[in-house]
Amino acid sequence: MRKSTKWAFLAGVILASLILSACQGQQVEVPVTVVVRETQPPQIQTQVVVETQVVVETQVVEVVPTEAPVTRTGAWLDTVVIVEEPSADAAVTRLDVGDLDLYAFAIAQAPVVQRMKELDTIVTDRSSGSYDDLTFNTSAALPSGAFNPFSNPKIREAMNWLVDRQYIAEEIYGGLAVPRYVTFNRASADFAALADVIRVIENKYAYNMELAQETITTEMEGMGAALEGGVWTFEGAPVELIFLIRTEDNRRGIGDYVSNQLEAIGFTVIRDYKTAAEAGPIWLGAGEFHIYTGGWVTTAVPRDLGGNFSAFYTPAGRPDPLWQNYTPTEEFNQLADDLANNNFKTLDERREMMSQALDLSLQDSSRVWLVDRAGESPRRAETSVAADLYAAVYGSSLWPYTLRRTGQVGGSMRVGMPSILTQPWNPLDASNWVYDSFVFRGTGELGLNPDPYTGLALPNRIERAEVVVQEGLPVGVTLDWLTLEFAPEIQVPADAWIDWDPVAQEFVAAGEGVTALSKSTVYYPDDLYETVKWHDGSAFSVGDIVMYMIATLDRGKEESVYYDASKTAALNQFLAAFKGVKIVSTDPLVIETYTDAYQLDAENNVATWWPYYLGRSQGAWHTVALGLGAELAGEAAFSTAKAAELEVDQLNYIAGPTLDILQAQLEAQTASGELPYAPTLSQFIPPDEIAARWANLAEWKRTRGHFWVGTGAFYLERAFPVEGTVILQRNPNYPDSADRWARFSAPAIAEVEVEGPARVTIGDEAVVDVWVTFQGEPYAQADISEVKYLVFDAENNLAQTGLAEAVEDGHWQVKLSGETTGKLAAGSNRLEIVTVSKRVALPTFSELLFVTAP
Amino acid sequence: MSQATLPLPTEAAPAAKRGASTFSRVMRYTLVRSVALFATVVVGVYLTILIANMGGEVDKIRKAFIRDNVALSFMGDRQFQQLPREERERIIAEIITVEEHRLGLDRPFLLRSFGFLGQALSLNLGRADLLTSDSGSSQVRLILLERLPPTLLLFATANFLNFFLSIFMALGLSRRYGSFLDRAVIALAPTSAAPGWFYGLFLIIIFAAVLGLLPFGGLVAAPPPKEPLAYALSVLKHLTLPVLALVLSTIFLTIYSWRTFFLIYSSEDYVEMAKAKGLPSGTIERRYILRPTLPTIITTFALSLIALWQGAVVLETVFNWPGLGRLLFQAIGLYDTAIIVGSTVIYAYLLALTVFVLDFVYALVDPRVKVGGEGAKV
Repeated sequence: MRKSTKWAFLAGVILASLILSACQGQQVEVPVTVVVRETQPPQIQTQVVVETQVVVETQVVEVVPTEAPVTRTGAWLDTVVIVEEPSADAAVTRLDVGDLDLYAFAIAQAPVVQRMKELDTIVTDRSSGSYDDLTFNTSAALPSGAFNPFSNPKIREAMNWLVDRQYIAEEIYGGLAVPRYVTFNRASADFAALADVIRVIENKYAYNMELAQETITTEMEGMGAALEGGVWTFEGAPVELIFLIRTEDNRRGIGDYVSNQLEAIGFTVIRDYKTAAEAGPIWLGAGEFHIYTGGWVTTAVPRDLGGNFSAFYTPAGRPDPLWQNYTPTEEFNQLADDLANNNFKTLDERREMMSQALDLSLQDSSRVWLVDRAGESPRRAETSVAADLYAAVYGSSLWPYTLRRTGQVGGSMRVGMPSILTQPWNPLDASNWVYDSFVFRGTGELGLNPDPYTGLALPNRIERAEVVVQEGLPVGVTLDWLTLEFAPEIQVPADAWIDWDPVAQEFVAAGEGVTALSKSTVYYPDDLYETVKWHDGSAFSVGDIVMYMIATLDRGKEESVYYDASKTAALNQFLAAFKGVKIVSTDPLVIETYTDAYQLDAENNVATWWPYYLGRSQGAWHTVALGLGAELAGEAAFSTAKAAELEVDQLNYIAGPTLDILQAQLEAQTASGELPYAPTLSQFIPPDEIAARWANLAEWKRTRGHFWVGTGAFYLERAFPVEGTVILQRNPNYPDSADRWARFSAPAIAEVEVEGPARVTIGDEAVVDVWVTFQGEPYAQADISEVKYLVFDAENNLAQTGLAEAVEDGHWQVKLSGETTGKLAAGSNRLEIVTVSKRVALPTFSELLFVTAP
Repeated sequence: MSQATLPLPTEAAPAAKRGASTFSRVMRYTLVRSVALFATVVVGVYLTILIANMGGEVDKIRKAFIRDNVALSFMGDRQFQQLPREERERIIAEIITVEEHRLGLDRPFLLRSFGFLGQALSLNLGRADLLTSDSGSSQVRLILLERLPPTLLLFATANFLNFFLSIFMALGLSRRYGSFLDRAVIALAPTSAAPGWFYGLFLIIIFAAVLGLLPFGGLVAAPPPKEPLAYALSVLKHLTLPVLALVLSTIFLTIYSWRTFFLIYSSEDYVEMAKAKGLPSGTIERRYILRPTLPTIITTFALSLIALWQGAVVLETVFNWPGLGRLLFQAIGLYDTAIIVGSTVIYAYLLALTVFVLDFVYALVDPRVKVGGEGAKV
């Protein structure tokens, strides 16, 4: 290509992206929804003792770091400079010329991704989590009285055949999507576990225009409509379908495509192009529309999608009018409800229920799933980082520990993000924007880190844990850092704290006779208070933990002096399941938590009480105390809602007018030596600690100019709000080795090759070899959950399914018996292999075609 | 616009008014003019409030957003899903109520609209609903003030450059009518059809991506230099391309316009007379061409100055410049009407004030103009 042509092309691409980005409005700024909330008490899950045994066999999954032991602690990098770069296209150019090292956002525009792929200076991390559907208005008629064919579930089901998902994925999304047929995200534990069932569904509902037309014709005629001159009419008038089509992204293309398909079979389609804001009141309110191009986001690898049937197909899902019009069959409704409430005894039973629910959901089809979208996060080729399967680098909890120039120790990097310093930063109600959360993960740390590839919790600051659940609940365990036991009954100790008295400012004891469904005990390391330090030099203390407990329980109570009405609902939800917490020992720190909430994975039932508030940001007791003082004085507030109520600014610990308020609080509280929640906190925080903390913070503020402290691998050196720059420096006091999380350098997605005979004699046994590798190395048997096979006959019917046998690491075999091949008619058959790994929640599909002959 | 730009024949002033004191005439004029301008501002601001809120439709949109966001936040929450349905709906309703109250959506829009108007007119700009300033404040005043310096820096620099360059070059060209330079400017005038950001893209590609001489965008280097001088130099470096883009996109057309304007005045009889008298060309330019065109020049300059207040959305986006244009664009996208109204009311006041002051300026620079005079008055 000539240079001038290159320039013209480059300018064209930038121009197009600018126009697109200018049209996006608020859409770019996606608030985070934290799926893994380690700050909450154990969440429930079910399964019996049998499950425990299964898990014990399967613990593992650790890959030994290949590098030699290192002495470096914390972050590999010395400095990270984060800058704002709103244009994805410009970011790619800057990456290419070395002006940026990483762009912490997933790019989903196909032309830009294509350009990235062509540059050898850039590598990308693929992430998913966004997905599209066709949402139907299932009302008997529209508010205007207009006829609604989609009140008929058979017509909705037929829509599955009418749309070619492969076309949408390949043509409309330019390959940045994969077809989706069911309510499960492709990268999820449930999809992996039910991959064989789903594959059959995908086969059944594959694109089939003729079948769609035939079914719709039958049903439309049954509803009294007639096809006249190739146009559907009802009571003499054409059947007009109002299609709400979102305009901000590829859903516009989807809307046009589906409209064409509907018009091709005789419907008259009114294409009603609307933005999110314009469409919201209409579709949520079950207003004047038939179909809507829906879009959804999941921001972390989900471990339990059993609630999706209830959430997406039944009136229990949401209180909006659209949901209230849903009329699932009684069987489906009951099944959805049971799965949402974990009303099953074993995981086998759950699997059976899920299989049924999947079938019934397709028959219901109040929404037709279309594609799982993908995005690519670019970075310089010489860098490495642990990226989350769902939220790429910007949502990865491990980025602070893994970001580096490959093979190098130290140095600095420049990271670009579409936005920066989006909302105020404070420890109790920090900004929930992905851009801010990215930085929070650098300056703070979690008690448990979510595995970026499986979603299972991994111990970060805690040492180990024990989980006990009531017998009969379907809870299992996968990893070996915790134990799982079952007990007939779990008694809550009488002196455990079950609530908080906001007037006396003391915890309320549980008393006798309280039981819980689940108990977790966390053990912090013996040297916790010596090794873990806040950035201002203060040693971590039990006071930080107790402040977290109080803040969780106090602010939603109307009698509290710190009452915040926006916290009440969340508190009530929390208390509905919470049964108590007990600090068994302060040194070493051991905490027991009792609750009726549980999740299926024991790992995700561990409550650490680590002070990472709302799952967003970290707070030390002394920094929280400053803000509480400001709230009490009515000068500023932690939450947006309370700030609006008081007509004051929301607390911002890094810049702006509230810095002066916090400074005044620091001076006042230093002078008085008083603590908030003194009746309780004073039992855990000695006077010398109080004095030391205020002195440390005052010095920190003097040297850094802000009050933002955490215990993370980086500290905030400086934030420049208007300039749009944040500078993070390596925390030299971080205690853990820099290579602690090195094993998460890449998702171990199985690479599968299938070898077998191309021709099989009917009635003869056939053996097929399945080779499973990752980066050229055999995949360990212990890391594979199962290798399933499905045989589809010449007419595309499922003829046989089963499990492949493990031969050795990286090698499995499928043996088709003579009886199995004897059932196959002569013709071309397909053997599909579904490989499910324990190291990554993304199954691998592969296939072998073979001919059967007599 | 004011009629002040029209020459006022002094003999047209009614004899009865000649006796009135200048002071009372000016005061009366000031009062009437102020009331008229204020009424215009009131109408303009209230219209903005109505339009920005789509006559109250934005309330519906916001309510739907709130409902959607609250319900979405719980959809993947397995613990929440296990609560009784009534309890779930109660929790969701409770959160929605709090949020709607926070945004004032529990009160009728019409009632709120007059509250907005009163606050706006008293320059109590209130608090933004969703956006905050870069440093975290939700006070509209601080949000706007924070973005003002970068906007002023960029657009004032570009406008001053553009204004003075074009005036002087136009004067020069008007003397060299038909010269090569004159024809070149005429030929280049259509290039102003392209906006500044368009040139910005090419400048970025050339000077940042290919040559690596200047930065891609932003206000200052990252990390920003600690020394004031180094900081200023860094800002200057970052200012170069956006200013160049802005100047390039307007300079030729502006020169062409002024040059044509001056040419028209240059062919007036009194100019020809001055030339015939043999006056020096500099004197002719100053006294016979520039002076009568001064009201127009001042008007253009003043209006271009207050236009800075609105920034430029796309140019600021291209250069990642933290200006008012991007802020306003964000506010419109998020229906953050407090910022939209706040920005508009300031613009309205600035415009009214400028128009008001210009009336007096005209009288100062042009002896034919008389403040508060009858007939063709200002």
